[in-house]
Amino acid sequence: MYFEVNGKRVFATTGGKPFDSSLSCVIFLHGSGLDHTFWGLYTRFFAFRKYSVLAPDLPGHSHSEGPPLKSIEEIGDWLNEVVETLDINNISVVAHSQGVLNALEFVSRHPQRVRSVSLIASGLATPVNPALLEAAANSPEDAIAMMVGWGFGPAGHLHQGPIPGSSMVAAGLKVMRGNAPQALAADLQACNAYRNGKQAAAKIGVPVQVMLGGQDRMAPRQATTELVKHLDSPEVHIIPESGHMVPQEVPDKCRDLLKVFIYTNNPAT
Amino acid sequence: MSHFYHFDTLSLHAGQTVDPEFGARATPIYQTTSYVFPDTDTASSIFNLERGGHAYSRITNPTVGVLEQRIAALEGGSATVCTASGMAATYCAITAILGQGDHIVASSQMYGGNISLMKNTLPRFGITATFVDPLDIDGFRSALQDNTRLIYGELIGNPGLDILDLEAIVKISADNHVPFMVDATFNTPYLCRCFDFGVNITIHSVTKWMGGHGLAIGGAIVDGGNFDWGATDKYPTITEPYAPFQGINFWEEFGPSAFATRIRAEAMRDFGASMSPMNAFLLLQGIETLSLRMDKYASNTRQLLDHLSNHKQVSWVSHPGLTSHSSYELAKKYLPKGAGSIVSFGVKGGRDAGKAFIENLQLASHLANVGDAKTLIIHPATTTHGRIDAEGLVAAGITEDMIRLSVGLEDVADIKADFEYGFRAAEKFASS
Repeated sequence: MYFEVNGKRVFATTGGKPFDSSLSCVIFLHGSGLDHTFWGLYTRFFAFRKYSVLAPDLPGHSHSEGPPLKSIEEIGDWLNEVVETLDINNISVVAHSQGVLNALEFVSRHPQRVRSVSLIASGLATPVNPALLEAAANSPEDAIAMMVGWGFGPAGHLHQGPIPGSSMVAAGLKVMRGNAPQALAADLQACNAYRNGKQAAAKIGVPVQVMLGGQDRMAPRQATTELVKHLDSPEVHIIPESGHMVPQEVPDKCRDLLKVFIYTNNPAT
Repeated sequence: MSHFYHFDTLSLHAGQTVDPEFGARATPIYQTTSYVFPDTDTASSIFNLERGGHAYSRITNPTVGVLEQRIAALEGGSATVCTASGMAATYCAITAILGQGDHIVASSQMYGGNISLMKNTLPRFGITATFVDPLDIDGFRSALQDNTRLIYGELIGNPGLDILDLEAIVKISADNHVPFMVDATFNTPYLCRCFDFGVNITIHSVTKWMGGHGLAIGGAIVDGGNFDWGATDKYPTITEPYAPFQGINFWEEFGPSAFATRIRAEAMRDFGASMSPMNAFLLLQGIETLSLRMDKYASNTRQLLDHLSNHKQVSWVSHPGLTSHSSYELAKKYLPKGAGSIVSFGVKGGRDAGKAFIENLQLASHLANVGDAKTLIIHPATTTHGRIDAEGLVAAGITEDMIRLSVGLEDVADIKADFEYGFRAAEKFASS
């Protein structure tokens, strides 16, 4: 569906059901250069189980009007405006990669409506390799190749996957190409500049779930350990066979973990 | 490390997860109609496209799925749907986005089945086509109508072998917001990856070079994931709610795989032209050696072109690899590893000489297929294109004396020796 925030058109998929703000809601936050389709194996699932679902394209990404936002803090505030515009309560936030940083800022600054947070494949900060930053601005194909190349584990690179006939790697490349160079470069710069992770994590007072891939080359174990250390008693799941793209590479495991956690901490209304 | 596997590696491994129970290295043949669900929630979520998984082999099957993912990997597409045949692929792909009152701009130089589908069959369902000389780029532009919803062609035209100028036609399709669908059967992704040039959808008869063994019929539709279906209201089957799946909006929910998902959800369910698991297994065996075979086809083709071009009983030879061919420059651009292994030639003495030539071969097989490991030969005017009228034959570049040769993988010396049996039999007609 489309709606407006600050006079700009925003797109979010609602998982195939009309959006109903009176229901408990799951908000899915995508990573750098990606869009709502990253969550295709989750949005429809929760929407057909009595939750409202919102998987927005960040400003300047795919179907949402630009320009892209320049900092993680701005994105955190923008997410709050989305929530206020649609008058959503009882929110479970599910976030991946850069989306985790966005979620930390959103939830720490605007905690009132949030009931649970699921953080997948990220640490407290995402320092970006200078070569990748440079490529994102000036040679986006190289940047996309680096990100998709590093992002997927062995299964993704062999085009294995949960949906018969589909290639996660190829679909990821197509989405990123559509969001390059502006949105991709802005995302990576925002990640690189973000310094408030420790403080934001410490302020989160709702149940938190952390998932990480055992073969993640973009958010190394050490970074996720730091994140866990600054959260208040999160439940932590390591999925050994997955790379960075946990929600796409191991969707059944990831969905089952999300389902139990969200059902427990933010029951469908 | 941002390493991506290369073509030969993907040909062997893409799409297959090694069998977790028994460790089978080969892709198992899941010869089953249906699948036991662990619980009702899983069952309903598979039916409702909430998760991956298999419910019924008409829609998806694990063995077919490996083939689909392997073809997607080799083509660089976001998703593939395999079908019972190449023609089923063409029909399912077209009807996924076109309906009553819609129009196709198509190359006039295509397999007779494709021409018949668009000229005779689809008009009964309200879908019409305008055929354009594949080398007439302005013709593609001027043939567009307000109701045009698709541009269609074969990269290597059958049997005239003219090459589509992909980039020029991509520009026309992009300017007019109409997807460009290419039948890539003759080239396979080894000789040309059409998506690299901006094509939106490819179709394959995997029966041919992809399988390469002549054992199994099959088709594939590959979604390039690069067409913005939502930028226009021309494609409601992709962008509007679809009632049979609780109002699903394919474009909204599946993005780069929206087209393929529509085909999976509608065509495979309602038309049911599914590929059998056994055929998928056989086709996978062929694809494992695709690059090796395509290089050998190219080598044999080059040697036979030289042989035929210098043969006293051959009146003409046509192949895009020859400087004399109208598509020579386009072939160099789009098919640098080889412009396919179909060769057309005329035997001096016309139709009777051609008939004598074919009937006296001992090694080459006289049959209606191409892309087998074995050398194949046929007379198109009386067989594959026999249902096309005289005007259509001219448009397709077919002459009465034309012999279509699908070069095989035999030792090329043996193919040449075999042809001498045919030429000797045809000799008496050459002077008459």
